[in-house]
Amino acid sequence: MRAIFLLAVVLASAAPAAAQYPSIKAGDWLRVDFRARFQGDVRRSEALIAEDDSSLDIARRRVGIEGRLGRALDYQVEYELGLNEWRDVYIDYRQLKALQLKAGIFKVPFGLEENTSSTKLDFIYRARISSRLAPGRDRGVSVHGRVLKNIVTYETGIFRHDGDNAQPSASARVFGGPTIALRATAEPFRDSTSKFKSLQVGGAVAFANLPLGFPAVRARTVFGASFYNSDVWVQGRRQRSGLEARWRPGRWSLQSEYIRVSDERRGQSVENGDLSPLVAHGWYLSATRALTGKRSRFGVVEVASRYETLRFGSNGLAGEPSTSARADVVAGNTDRAVTLGVNWHLNKWIKVQMNLVREDIERPSIGPSPDQAAFWSRVFRLQLTM
Amino acid sequence: MRNTILLIATLLLVGASVADAQSPDDLFDSRTLQEVRLYIHSSDLAQLRERYLEDTYYPADFEWRGIRARNIGVRVRGLATRSPIKPGLRIDFDRYVAQQTFLGMSALVLDNALKDPSMIRERTSMAFIKRMGQPAPRESFARVFINGSYEGVYALVEVVDARFLAQALGDGLGYLFEHKYVNGFHAEDLGDDYEAYKLRFAAATHRLEGDYTLYAPIRELFREVNQPVDGVWRERVGWFIDLNQLVTYVAIETFLAEFDGFLGGSGMANFYLYRPVATNVHRLIAWDRDTTFQEIEAPIFARVDENALFQRALMFPDLRRLFLDVLDQCARAAAQDRWLEAEIWWTHQLIRDAVGQDTTRMFSNEEYEGAIGHLLAFAQGRPAFVAGEVAKAR
Repeated sequence: MRAIFLLAVVLASAAPAAAQYPSIKAGDWLRVDFRARFQGDVRRSEALIAEDDSSLDIARRRVGIEGRLGRALDYQVEYELGLNEWRDVYIDYRQLKALQLKAGIFKVPFGLEENTSSTKLDFIYRARISSRLAPGRDRGVSVHGRVLKNIVTYETGIFRHDGDNAQPSASARVFGGPTIALRATAEPFRDSTSKFKSLQVGGAVAFANLPLGFPAVRARTVFGASFYNSDVWVQGRRQRSGLEARWRPGRWSLQSEYIRVSDERRGQSVENGDLSPLVAHGWYLSATRALTGKRSRFGVVEVASRYETLRFGSNGLAGEPSTSARADVVAGNTDRAVTLGVNWHLNKWIKVQMNLVREDIERPSIGPSPDQAAFWSRVFRLQLTM
Repeated sequence: MRNTILLIATLLLVGASVADAQSPDDLFDSRTLQEVRLYIHSSDLAQLRERYLEDTYYPADFEWRGIRARNIGVRVRGLATRSPIKPGLRIDFDRYVAQQTFLGMSALVLDNALKDPSMIRERTSMAFIKRMGQPAPRESFARVFINGSYEGVYALVEVVDARFLAQALGDGLGYLFEHKYVNGFHAEDLGDDYEAYKLRFAAATHRLEGDYTLYAPIRELFREVNQPVDGVWRERVGWFIDLNQLVTYVAIETFLAEFDGFLGGSGMANFYLYRPVATNVHRLIAWDRDTTFQEIEAPIFARVDENALFQRALMFPDLRRLFLDVLDQCARAAAQDRWLEAEIWWTHQLIRDAVGQDTTRMFSNEEYEGAIGHLLAFAQGRPAFVAGEVAKAR
């Protein structure tokens, strides 16, 4: 598999820049674009890595099609070969710009970065608030569109659960039931010539109900090791709220998000009363700067940096911070990370990324490296997109 | 408004000073029937009762005299005394809150006294052991409520830990091991493998230290105990255990007609081993005394021959003389001012009504009264019997 991957990379790097993605068209009524993405990561860390294979790992092997049927029906089908699971599988009826209808498996409308294609990310890994706290994909229907002279974009939908980021892979942990989500963004200076023309701000909320159990939303380091176990009884409403902003002046790009997940703990105190909600929240601020123009013969090179935090705990007042599953004041933990990165787009097919990450765990005793609060990690990614 | 603030401030100060004024001496004041309240989530309590054979901890709150310790850990304890109806409980105040203590204690045992129809053998025995100058956990009785429901009379037992050792022996820094009953151990040589000793002696302090540091002196103790050469036995065994303290300890147990102690009917049981840091010499600390006060005429050399260590120790004339001396002292201490009889009587008076309301215990009121009667007869008859046996043995 590694040999095939490397051969594909060599061929892709030799391909002319003007080459197009493979596609089939049948008049105006059918278009099928074939998509494939392969990527490999090499990871090293001073701390524990969740999957302890730190060598070359073909992390993603996705294939799929997307296109249009008729004049107004878009579709996408994507399959993850390694995990043998469907990713995006949906149809999108786009007859009216202000009122479009989407159905299938797709990303719950919540979070800027989580709803950004992984081929367009500024960093190898999404910020943890995106990959852990935002819902991710689920089966559902949504209404979306652009209104107010395209200044405002909205999407609201109802989903079977609260997304694959919150669902346990193989455990009895609980996740949200039917979920309602709303995300709205605005580009207030879209039609101006101001330097804030590209500024986009927005917010999102999502609601679901949680059955009784330990939550599947877990605290993980950048490489997926646990720094807090979330062994706390929850039951009741799960509420997500998020704020986002992005600005792309010239060669710069600035982006920031805040996400908060609050899980009620109804009837979970030792006296069967309510406890303060379990709260997971965090934010990030990232910046990139392109070092070369888009027409450079060496491709596009950009540097990136990001500061992020992810905290699990509660706002309880009764007692000292405790690791009890029924504590009002949860003794949680916080991970702060700084990521420095370089992205090199050789051509439209190939992207090379390098990230250096410094993480700092507030309570290292329950983190991946108990004797070490701060640790370095690095990761190299080669991505081939067709 | 000003008056209200002053009133609140006064109440807070008074409340704080009441809490601060309490101490373990108050909790273990055996002349007072205490009242302890536990709060456990209903599903956790159901699980605790359903899985009463497991040592799983559950979160709870503990309250005594209005002082509440939140987020404590509670689990079922005991070996033969486990019960889903009246579970014996161990409270760990620092289970879920780092370094949390209650009146300075990190743990407490709520003994259900399940197999003792009198319910007072344990406390009375510990009081007698202390009267004889040996360290023993303090105990008192309490009416225990769980989620507001009366669960019966329990003995509150001080846990043997570093804090206890510091108070009782003036040294809490050493190595403490809780003896665990495994297949009738009579002080035989268990071989070179530390595992056999780890099974029988669970480290209660210094848990993170290596097997050699923890268990080599215990292994050497039982190796030397079983050496055949009498000429060096006393000296070599003395390197690893305080033989005078051992003999004194067993003599007190013998006076109390203990059936499940160091010379237990099924092997050694119910004690801690303690070894100070700067030495390899161990000593014994009493634990769990609810099978004392057996027959009034229980022999003073009962089961001595079954224990490799004690049988060899009593071959030395001075140790045998010490054994008899301590027995004699026990007889006099119990009989002096009818101390033992009085101790039994007033304890009975203290808990009698609460026991009558205790629907969780295994025994009837008649059995309780009968057991108290036996204890009183023991207190009256045992000293004279033991003194007579000692005189015969000299």
